[in-house]
Amino acid sequence: MGPFFQYTVIGLTVGSFYALVALGYTIVYGIIRLINFAQGDLSMVGAFLGWTLLVSLGFQHLPLYVALIAAFVIPMLGTAVVNLGILQFAYRPLLRRSLLAILITALGMSLFLQNLAELIWGPAINAYPPSLLPASGFFVGPVHLTYVQIALVLVSLLLMGGLLLFVQRTTVGTAMRALAVDHDAARLMGINVDAVIRLAFVLGAVLAAASGVMLGVYYVQIQFTMGFLLGLRAFTAAVLGGIGNIPGAMAGGMLIGLLEAYTTGYLSGKWEDVIVFGVLITVLVVKPTGLFGERVAERM
Amino acid sequence: MIAQLADSGLGRRYASARDLLARTPFWARVLVVLAVLGLAVLGYGDDYVTSVAVTAATYGMLGLGLNIVVGYAGLLDLGYAAFFAIGAYTSALLMTQAHWNFFTTLPFAVLFTGTAGAILGYPTLRLRSDYLAIVTLGFGEMTRISFNNWDYAGGPNGILQIPWPNLFGFQLDTQADFFGVSLFLLAIAMIFAQHLDHSRLGRGWVAIREDEFAAESVGVPSLRLKLFAYVMGGMWGGLAGAFFATRIGAIDPTSFTFQLSVLVLILIVLGGVGSLPGVLLGAVVVVGLPEVLRQFADQRLLIFAVLLVLMMLVRPQGLWPRIRRKPKPFYGLEEEESGELSATILREHQVQVEERVRRHAAAGRQVAQQGEPLLEVRGLVQRFGGLRAVDDVSFVVRRGEIFSMIGPNGAGKTTVFNCITGVQRPRRGTILFDGRSIVGLRPHVIVSRGVGRTFQGIRLFRNMAVFENVMVGLYPRHRTMTWQAMLHTPGERRDELRTLQEARRWLHFVGLEEVAGRLATELSYADQRRVEIGRALAAHPHLVLFDEPAAGMNPTEKLELVGLIRRIRDLGITVVLIDHDMSLVMRVSDRIAVLDQGRLIALGPAAQVQQDPAVIEAYLGREEDELSMAEPRGA
Amino acid sequence: MALFEVRDLHVSYGNIEALKGISLEADPGDVVAILGGNGAGKTTTLRTISGLLRPRSGSITFAGRSLPGLPAHVIVGMGLSHVPEGRRIFNVLTVEENLNLGAYLIRSRRAQIRERKSEVYKLFPRLEERRGQLAGTLSGGEQQMLAIGRALMADPRVMMLDEPSLGLSPILARSVLRTVREIANRGTAVLLVEQNARQALAIADRAYVIEVGRIVLEGTAAALAEDERVQRAYLGGFEAVSA
Repeated sequence: MGPFFQYTVIGLTVGSFYALVALGYTIVYGIIRLINFAQGDLSMVGAFLGWTLLVSLGFQHLPLYVALIAAFVIPMLGTAVVNLGILQFAYRPLLRRSLLAILITALGMSLFLQNLAELIWGPAINAYPPSLLPASGFFVGPVHLTYVQIALVLVSLLLMGGLLLFVQRTTVGTAMRALAVDHDAARLMGINVDAVIRLAFVLGAVLAAASGVMLGVYYVQIQFTMGFLLGLRAFTAAVLGGIGNIPGAMAGGMLIGLLEAYTTGYLSGKWEDVIVFGVLITVLVVKPTGLFGERVAERM
Repeated sequence: MIAQLADSGLGRRYASARDLLARTPFWARVLVVLAVLGLAVLGYGDDYVTSVAVTAATYGMLGLGLNIVVGYAGLLDLGYAAFFAIGAYTSALLMTQAHWNFFTTLPFAVLFTGTAGAILGYPTLRLRSDYLAIVTLGFGEMTRISFNNWDYAGGPNGILQIPWPNLFGFQLDTQADFFGVSLFLLAIAMIFAQHLDHSRLGRGWVAIREDEFAAESVGVPSLRLKLFAYVMGGMWGGLAGAFFATRIGAIDPTSFTFQLSVLVLILIVLGGVGSLPGVLLGAVVVVGLPEVLRQFADQRLLIFAVLLVLMMLVRPQGLWPRIRRKPKPFYGLEEEESGELSATILREHQVQVEERVRRHAAAGRQVAQQGEPLLEVRGLVQRFGGLRAVDDVSFVVRRGEIFSMIGPNGAGKTTVFNCITGVQRPRRGTILFDGRSIVGLRPHVIVSRGVGRTFQGIRLFRNMAVFENVMVGLYPRHRTMTWQAMLHTPGERRDELRTLQEARRWLHFVGLEEVAGRLATELSYADQRRVEIGRALAAHPHLVLFDEPAAGMNPTEKLELVGLIRRIRDLGITVVLIDHDMSLVMRVSDRIAVLDQGRLIALGPAAQVQQDPAVIEAYLGREEDELSMAEPRGA
Repeated sequence: MALFEVRDLHVSYGNIEALKGISLEADPGDVVAILGGNGAGKTTTLRTISGLLRPRSGSITFAGRSLPGLPAHVIVGMGLSHVPEGRRIFNVLTVEENLNLGAYLIRSRRAQIRERKSEVYKLFPRLEERRGQLAGTLSGGEQQMLAIGRALMADPRVMMLDEPSLGLSPILARSVLRTVREIANRGTAVLLVEQNARQALAIADRAYVIEVGRIVLEGTAAALAEDERVQRAYLGGFEAVSA
């Protein structure tokens, strides 16, 4: 039974990262019915921006709190700008055109980000400073927990909790949920729909950046290709939970993380992706509205 | 000055050359162009250049295959590399393990790829296009990873030492040989693709791309056509894969990545989606550009990504866009006297009716006679969320009558139509057409049973000509097979001519023969409505449902519409219509059903319904309201 | 000058002209009914006024300011609320959340929001009973009340309602329209689009009848209520029908 709990711990840790990226997919899709293919790559950009700060610019030598806060905040700002740029220059002009055109453009943006990152940071693997955080941990029964794991999961939960609070308790957050139902009715409330869409893109970017930095801290190794598979898994998570459904994306992320951990643990790492894709295809064919029901704008 | 130039000898020769070009058959043009390109490359004589040309040709093949999926059927397939892989591995394994000849492995490579496509496509092609894109992406990755993990196929090392093809003792082993084969394959692919594009299948694909819902509702089996495109495109990718395997001599999973799928997509977008010369141009650019600009070869994906986005923003039709021929409607048809046309329609329709009676009798079924129930709706209930849109509605429509449904806004009329035509599945109730239940059937099946319809708010295929719209409506009535279309057999040609003839007759019937060649969107609203009616009639229905046909028409046009409806009835077709123009409805209907808030509140002849107090109340409110509601201002 | 004025409005959908020169006006406390059959252009008129559609030509002035070209959310901020056809409440949000969104423009002024909400609850006590319920689970009549209450949260000077009696039983429709009258009595100018002509005319001061994009009749409610032409417009006359 020991391995099972260990895998569970790993799965939940990684799952919380997937959840953050999944939230980005789900929020945007719920409001404007667009799969922002670049979402996974935004996470990669966040990871690299964090790396640049910590390693290239030497922030890792600053007091820990300063380094960590900067390593989160600045990538968040950077990716927010990138995502807003994508919205403004690539998506907005095409929102009225055919779905095919938008999908192809979204794909193009994702490719662009990936290859631009390769150009800027090189094709090789870059490493986060491995000794940034204490690597120690402790045992709870047969399961080994590291402080890093706990810290990262806490940060993820904090971010998710913050988002949930924002969306459920604030008026602007409620407005965003209203956009996932009916755009015209929202306009008639005095809601500036374009501004809220921009906000959704910023939120998606911020969460992605956070997950990227955390992945860098957790796995140490980052590469310009990491966004691709991450994005697919996160999208699977979003669909599994019910696209547009915010709590659903969180749950979906955790589930995919667990699935991945169990597959790697009991089967082999080689089949991880096949299983995850299999889940995606099955969900879409059998219950496309996901486990908890989708929440997509009926009228845009 | 341009006019002077055009008039000069040079101008005239240019014009006649273009004429000549336009009149040579497509296959001749393809062969000439490819022959010229081939000779140019081979004449240049450099082995490296030739091998680059073979790579370009391979990409061209992939592009042609993906073009059928994306360009013709409008499906975004992001996992095309999977088909390439399956074809390559199948052929390679058969050649290395079973020692088969390359050419013998080809049918199997194609077959396996096609089967894989069918298995994946069948459950997933009904998904909306963005989900489909991700699913195909997943499929592509799954295929690559599976081959990577499969030891029998060599795992990450792949399959080595794949033998060269041997054609009746003649060994193909030089780049020039492969180039020749690839050109041959390209030529076949282009010719087949062109034939498909101009066939009934191609029309169906365009219809699905334009408006899948409308296409399905006029009898085009959309799922089946999408599957065709996906599988055919896939099979072609498999063929290209087999060719690739034998040409390179060694394959491994890294040849079949997502990068490749994207590159093929990029090449068709660059060249022009749906355009055959565009695909070739795209292949040349995608393979040639990194060769020419060596210093940027490493960043080629970045450059292509930028090009992709720029193209979508600035020139979405591509570098060599698909040419929209100006349609010449009845080219090749013999002239028919207009009087003869009307008689022919009547006769044709009679033949159809009799044939139907015979078919039903053979199956032991009774066909409704004049005056007997044709459509029976019993206890129909439909709910949306908590709202009862249709609440226990029952009525019978008799053969040969003009039956109208009226009622205030939101009464449930269109919902009833949607249940009858299979767009929605009712919560409860039975719907019988000619004694057989049609609940739960897909819309195109219901069309083939003999029910046609038009929509509230016209749904024509906007980028098609008027006569092409009507020809789509004829889809269920003609039976050429796909291979006949690909080869453009005389049988298929005859069938197309017949379809054209029927389309002309129906256009004559609705009075739009003059504008047959115009684009659907160029017509006035009322004329567009008539095209839609013609399209619905083309399938020789026994019952037509017209949803607000008079909307947006002026009084003269409405009068003409009344005349058209009566002529339709005279053909023997039963008409059911929804409209809000009371005088039109009263004038043309035999019986009227009144719905209010989902319930049937009156049913009977027009005069009776008009006097019915329940009807008047539904529309205008009760008398007593005036008294009880009056409250002085400021009170 | 009237508080709210529309002059010679032309609106097209592609190359179909939906409105061919509509003119109307409303003053505070007026209930102005807009009647007409389906497809006549009533909904198009309201949607153009509230900024969801752009007119081709014509003027719309509200308190001296010109509306065409302004985005819808700005027009709402000026004091013009639109209760759209089919209610269009946010069914996944609670009653309370729907009302809060109605006051989106003053979202920082908590006290004022609370005040207005209690006014709305006084007007529609049923909504208060269901304040925590998801709006999608309400009955048709309750949803209509919610839609009106939501529009009231913005304390509008002009309120436009598109077929509030749609899908409601006659009793409920009467109650809703009576509430609309009361709202007008408190000083709001009301534009009421209705298919239920009698009930609408019973609470209105003035009325316009639209047919195929044009105003074909206008006058006081009392005068139009007597007019035979109104009945004819809906039921197509009394001529005998030939087969």
